[in-house]
Amino acid sequence: MIPESPLLPQGAELRKPPTRTRVYLSLALALAFTLLPWDHDWRWLLPDFTLLLLLYWNIHAPRQAGLGAAFVLGLVTDVAQGLLLGLNALAYCAATFAVLLVRRRLANFSPLLQTPQIAPVLVGKEALVLALGMMIGRGEADWRWLAAGLLGAALWWPLSWAMERLGAHAAPPAPERRA
Amino acid sequence: MSRVPQAPLFVREMGLPARFAVYVLVCLFLLALDARYIALGGVRAGVNALLHPLQLALAWPLEWMRGVGAFFVAHGDLVVENERLRRERDRIALAALDRVALAAENERLRELHQLPAWPGVTPLLGEIVATVPDPFARRVVINRGHVQGVRAGWPVVDAAGLVGQVTRVYPWSAEVTLITDRDQGAPVQNLRNGLRIIVSGMGSDNLLMVRFLDMHADLAEGDWLYTSGIDGVYPAGIPVARVVKTEPPRASPFASAYCAPIGGVGRYRHVAVLKPVAETPAATEAAPAAAGGRR
Repeated sequence: MIPESPLLPQGAELRKPPTRTRVYLSLALALAFTLLPWDHDWRWLLPDFTLLLLLYWNIHAPRQAGLGAAFVLGLVTDVAQGLLLGLNALAYCAATFAVLLVRRRLANFSPLLQTPQIAPVLVGKEALVLALGMMIGRGEADWRWLAAGLLGAALWWPLSWAMERLGAHAAPPAPERRA
Repeated sequence: MSRVPQAPLFVREMGLPARFAVYVLVCLFLLALDARYIALGGVRAGVNALLHPLQLALAWPLEWMRGVGAFFVAHGDLVVENERLRRERDRIALAALDRVALAAENERLRELHQLPAWPGVTPLLGEIVATVPDPFARRVVINRGHVQGVRAGWPVVDAAGLVGQVTRVYPWSAEVTLITDRDQGAPVQNLRNGLRIIVSGMGSDNLLMVRFLDMHADLAEGDWLYTSGIDGVYPAGIPVARVVKTEPPRASPFASAYCAPIGGVGRYRHVAVLKPVAETPAATEAAPAAAGGRR
């Protein structure tokens, strides 16, 4: 028995997976953007663009960006910012792990509906960095830095939209199979 | 199409939780290694040497835009500023004349009392290129490093007063911990009566604190605090802070005081690293000998 139309959506619905170049290039750009000499007075408000893009690719291309990418990006961030080696790496790995666990579920939501689900991860990452610093014994934390997570969550939807528009993982021209 | 990676048919790797556990262990190991030992300094300096030119290149367009903005300054502003700078220069020149005489007199008096000369310093001018985005510490990065002769431990000042201390040196840049950092302290002397105390940072940009002050110590609002030079790190006579408020002892047997830093901590771009002319160890060795001789 051959069905008239395929049971699963096919053609235009299936997306071309993003290439390795695109993933790594965009991650490098995000990292560079984070490392710009931002003004100290509102540095605490600056969302972590590296993490945002890392999580985006973890949802859309988990085979290219995974725990390994998170670890390397975290280490580079640590060295560039002069923080304790492994601090951001641990936070990035934890955030990546959390997102990879619920990846299939998240991928079914629109970017707007993903926002409230990404927000705890982003805020959690900032909280983890602060908590680790306190555990190492670096004094009281500046809890304003948690706001960066919330602002990052607010940027999730524009970011997803922009990435899709930029054709980061655009659909190939749809081959018209059946009318 | 060949560049698109294919998902493997059979996955031959550890499960996600196991991989996560491995990464967490590695991270914790690195954290412990970096926090407790200085074993990773070389790795850090190496990676930073690679990253630093990149960061400079990234900041370049911003610098360029700032330069373009500065180009279109009104003529009137420039005239006013020129006039102000002229007056300032004359004032400083006069003060310098005075200072030369005072320094010579000081030198003679020191010889008379057989005291060792203060170790001299030469300023090494630099510019703040970035702030360290760390919620726990107050640090900035300057564009002078090991290649230009900067070493860890040297004091950093600006036109107004003490700014901080070099704490980490990379090949072409260095990290300066500001005096407002929570873990940073400076031995100072009250200009009015010579009282020696220690001011430490609070993690706030415009407040310093004297944590342990003798209940009966003579420290009042408006007093100027200068470095005393007894630590062998900061040369004597750099303005540090002005006392804003003193607090009587309440819970502890010590009084405390709050001060406002004089140096443009977190405001200015141009700073100077003070390079000691005489080797500091020699100076500190000479000091106890002289003190012992007087006893």
